[in-house]
Amino acid sequence: MYTPKVAVLFGFGINCDHETAAVFELVGAQAERIHLNKFISKEAVLSDYDILAVPGGFSFGDHLGSGRLMGNRMRFSLRDELHKFVEDGKPIIGICNGFQVLVKTGLLPGPNGHQNLPDFQQRASLTLNDSGRYEDRWVTLEFDPNSPCIWTKDMTRIDCPVRHGEGKFVMPEITDFDKLAENNQLTVRYVDPKTEIGKGITDEPLPFPISPNGSMRNIAGVCDSTGLVFGLMPHPEAVYAKWLHPDHTRGNAPGPKNSDSLGEWEGEGLQIFRNAVKYIQNNR
Amino acid sequence: MNITRVEVTPKEGEGLRDVRGDVVRRQLLADYGIEVSKIRSIVGFLISSSISPEEIENRADDLFADPIIEYSCTNELFIANTELFKNSPDAVISVGFKPGVTDNPGAAALDGFKTLFPNTDTNSKISTYITYAFYGLSDEISIDWLSGTLHNQLIERAIYSTKEDCSNSNWPEIQYTPKPEQVFENPKHISLEISDNELIDLSEKGLLALNLEEMKTIQSHYRDPIIREARKAVGIVTDSPTDVELECLAQTWSEHCKHKIFASKIHHVDKETGEDSMVDSIFKTHIMKPTHDMQKEVDWLLSVFHDNSGVIAWDENWSICMKAETHNSPSALDPYGGAMTGIVGVNRDILGTGLGARPIANTDVFCFGPPNWEGDLPENLFHPSRVLRGVHAGVRVGGNESGIPTINGAIVFDDRYIGKPLVYCGTVGIMPRRLVDGRESHIKTPSAGDVVYMVGGRVGYDGIHGATFSSLELTEESPSSAVQIGDPITQKKMLDMVLEARDQGLITCITDNGAGGLSSSIGEMAEYTNGCEIDLAKVPLKQPGLSAWEILVSESQERMTIAVSGKNTKRFEALARLHEVEATPVASFTSSGNFHVKYNEDTVAFLPIEFLHDGVPQLQLESEWNPPQLTEFIPPVNANHDEILLKMLARPNIASKETWVRQYDHEVIAQTAVKPFVGVERDGPGDAGLIAPIHGSTHGIVVSCGINPRYSDIDAGAMAAASIDEAVRNAVCVGVDIDKIAGLDNFCWPDPIESEKTPDGKFKLAQLVRANRELERVCRAYRLPCVSGKDSMKNDYGKGENKISIPPTLLFSLFGDHPDVRMTATSDLKVAGEKLYLVGESLDELGASEVSFMFRDEDSSMGIGGNVPKLTNPESNLSTYRTLSKTIRQGLVQTSHDCSEGGVAVAIAEMCIGGRIGAMIDIDGTGDNSLWARLWGESLGRFIIGVKPENEEKWLDEMKGHKVTYLGKTEQQDNLVINDGFDEVINLNVNDLVSSWQNTLDMTGGSQ
Repeated sequence: MYTPKVAVLFGFGINCDHETAAVFELVGAQAERIHLNKFISKEAVLSDYDILAVPGGFSFGDHLGSGRLMGNRMRFSLRDELHKFVEDGKPIIGICNGFQVLVKTGLLPGPNGHQNLPDFQQRASLTLNDSGRYEDRWVTLEFDPNSPCIWTKDMTRIDCPVRHGEGKFVMPEITDFDKLAENNQLTVRYVDPKTEIGKGITDEPLPFPISPNGSMRNIAGVCDSTGLVFGLMPHPEAVYAKWLHPDHTRGNAPGPKNSDSLGEWEGEGLQIFRNAVKYIQNNR
Repeated sequence: MNITRVEVTPKEGEGLRDVRGDVVRRQLLADYGIEVSKIRSIVGFLISSSISPEEIENRADDLFADPIIEYSCTNELFIANTELFKNSPDAVISVGFKPGVTDNPGAAALDGFKTLFPNTDTNSKISTYITYAFYGLSDEISIDWLSGTLHNQLIERAIYSTKEDCSNSNWPEIQYTPKPEQVFENPKHISLEISDNELIDLSEKGLLALNLEEMKTIQSHYRDPIIREARKAVGIVTDSPTDVELECLAQTWSEHCKHKIFASKIHHVDKETGEDSMVDSIFKTHIMKPTHDMQKEVDWLLSVFHDNSGVIAWDENWSICMKAETHNSPSALDPYGGAMTGIVGVNRDILGTGLGARPIANTDVFCFGPPNWEGDLPENLFHPSRVLRGVHAGVRVGGNESGIPTINGAIVFDDRYIGKPLVYCGTVGIMPRRLVDGRESHIKTPSAGDVVYMVGGRVGYDGIHGATFSSLELTEESPSSAVQIGDPITQKKMLDMVLEARDQGLITCITDNGAGGLSSSIGEMAEYTNGCEIDLAKVPLKQPGLSAWEILVSESQERMTIAVSGKNTKRFEALARLHEVEATPVASFTSSGNFHVKYNEDTVAFLPIEFLHDGVPQLQLESEWNPPQLTEFIPPVNANHDEILLKMLARPNIASKETWVRQYDHEVIAQTAVKPFVGVERDGPGDAGLIAPIHGSTHGIVVSCGINPRYSDIDAGAMAAASIDEAVRNAVCVGVDIDKIAGLDNFCWPDPIESEKTPDGKFKLAQLVRANRELERVCRAYRLPCVSGKDSMKNDYGKGENKISIPPTLLFSLFGDHPDVRMTATSDLKVAGEKLYLVGESLDELGASEVSFMFRDEDSSMGIGGNVPKLTNPESNLSTYRTLSKTIRQGLVQTSHDCSEGGVAVAIAEMCIGGRIGAMIDIDGTGDNSLWARLWGESLGRFIIGVKPENEEKWLDEMKGHKVTYLGKTEQQDNLVINDGFDEVINLNVNDLVSSWQNTLDMTGGSQ
């Protein structure tokens, strides 16, 4: 079986690089933490990798808006490389600050339509939570089963922590959301854990803290039209194991739903990373 | 150079809102009860560069504004734009940093500016400000007062427009102000051939914080003919110190750096027992000796006391270390900046341990005045709620942006902390036992000839005299240069780079630049090779013009001092470039025996290493113990315990701190198995933090703490014992391996040296002696080595009658081993039918209890005196803890909570809150005859344990021989019922417990 190579970006205040690399390794990839400047200086070559991960953190301290300065560096210095990466059918994930970076480079949600390649136009933003506070709390997420997103295949509902102050997903016009919804790009939403599994997704704004940030249409994450580029505010890597779920001490942390899981101890978040690894193994 | 102004303001409507303004609105409501209908915000950038305003305007939406959510304008004021700001506001306040103060958004903006305009000149600068427009503000509110609540004049400037100004379109307009010029001054020669009074005067005026004996020791050094001869040879003034030398000695010999009180010779008299004895160094006698004795018995104590943190072996591949620090004085002057530099500073202690450890968890413990304080405030002190907000924000930003989870902590309230808040910040680190090149990473390996780099931030005028300043009491004239704002991103970049350098084997020695700056960091490292030579002219500066002594002692943040062997300098520098971290060779190690400082070719300081480090004379101090005479706490008859429990849960010392703690990232690194809040709604109190830092492994580290300052009102010895016991109990609650735990002692004391300004110094020193004797007794009994610690000994405000001294406070932090994080327990009750037991015994110990303070707060004629909780038989406790902890790891126990403030009543209430389930317990037979003692008493060594019925027999079997009393069980009902035999003493709905517990410290003003 081919071992996909994952580039996990770090530097400038990215801080979830260790665990993001670790979860890819757990699902059979070879992950390398690489400083962004290595790609910019051509010391490292993006096309040598199969998957790109932009982890969470506080790149440039979130000053001038989260993800903005890191996004600019990528937009101005790695534009062609990123374009080619998606064109070559390689998946990209941005988590938390990484999602903010991808939104601000314009990679997410990307141009409308079907299988459109990146044009690096910013169309959405992630702004301050309605609460005005950075918070670390657990939320429940549900996935659009019809999303083209290769990262979320066969996923229905998971619990995850959010840890952000700027996670409210916004776009200028209501019709912008309709277009994304049409294409099933509103991949993952905050849902009320009391709803029936598979029926939690709603466009109506959910109250705090079910929706931790007041995100429009309760959006937690979106993908681009190719389904290769995916970003989300919550941290699936932070629940790679059951013992990281707050309910593990109550004996009822939700476990893996997948038959090829690593074992009884696997947490719900790991499947996202396994999906990308399998995608590479199946489509290479 | 052009100065260009860019302003940015949020778009509103269509679901978009001005959250920044809204946060200020909510805080005014929460803190002062002031209602404002709306506050709008504008962020401003003042750009000094060679780029034209037109070019900047064209790219403003690429950098300064996010066009999806914000508008921008260039070289105009948004507030004057009648399209966006239609109605005239009732007030406008604009706040910016004072010139020279760290402006992190400005620095980030400049970085982004250079991405857009790579050709801009190197001197470009960006400073930022923020403008608030108030609508619907009552005329009764003074705008001057309002502006005062929005800025700290020590570091910020604010200008404002009143309602009238606004209606006349007179807007506040902050201008770009460059830093004031610094003038380089050649080193001065300071003659010490002066009278004793003049020596003292010299020390006081120069903020040297040296006493007469120390000044005279320095004086005689310069009279030594051998010294004079040696000085002549290097061309430095022979018979007197330079200002560089005097400053360097003052830093190195400061109480802050040398811990002179802990090292002093104490004549101790106990009026109670008639004891009259000498203690030769509290530190060596009561802290170091016991740990060294224990080091002979175990193989896992790798490095204790001498490094930046204590290191223990965790498994074959990894060692772990921990350090806690205080940052009290800076936090009093600027709560935000002071606390932030506290947390990022202790992170650097970890990075500077051995050959570099990676910080993986933070702890923070704060002591403040009551947030709802309505009494007077002394000059120059902030209201406790403002100190709380500022300190919390500093630690939050410092920790979160560094990517280090905050997993444990506490907030303690007492009136006396109004005079000096205590801000304890701790960090746990991890490092590989061995590096790839085979070196053990906890051992530094410097050699003469190694090149010494200063890495990270630059040196500025900020942070001069921090160490000596914190060795003095706080006064109205405390200097602003002692305050700094941290820059966590600069530090994070440095941290990433340093750890890569470590793994590549490039580092031979590393330490952080904290108190005392380069003077301390290079000075301490030079002890290894017995000498160094520094060239201060090479040190990169934030602004030109700093004099030699300022460069040497400045405590500018985000700097490490790192030694690299000559053959590796190229690789080291390449790594620094990759990470965009500044690394400058500024010194080299020698074996000359001298701390040799040059400025270019001139020698500006030349001090023997031995004199610098060991020359300070030992203090001789007097200590005298007289037990304080206190009015005894006599519980009222016919009390309503329902009412008392609801009030106790709402007391700041007991109330939930969740809204504050939730704003810390406690889960980054994906390792936190027991989080700060636990239970069904994840809002019950966690007893200790538990992490599994190696991904894919369940091997864990427990982190806990204990702090009980109010017991010092009766006996500081009991205070110390209680703090240690609490830390251990908290760790036991999550199932720590009790045979592998290590502790940190952080003492914060009022000045204990008898003098005119401290007439009760002997008593305060006796408190210190007693605390340390108990520390030794308990730590030896618990086989709990103290591997690192710190003391802060001048926690007083003012002088004379208005003097405020903090209660003597020991924070005891603990880190320990946990074989499998899955086998743990938490405080929330789990299921109906769970059997509840009290482990330990409730004694007649209500002295200085939270309930006694509650009654005294309501009626000042009531007392808090009586029996303070005592640890009479710690050996027996240890045996119980070992067994209890083992049964948790065996999976027999899922619910455990320690009994501390508020006793059994508060503990069981908190357990019901976490589980959102009722319980019925009977406290008859749990100890002393007095119901009050069993309900509210704070006796040590106690836990409430919940076991599932199927595990009950097995668990009781394991616990045989230990004091265990059946209390009752959880009930699938909404109420907590506490009976005393046939009497029902408490019967309350769990939802009422929840709201009492959660409301007091919410202080968010809501979430919408």
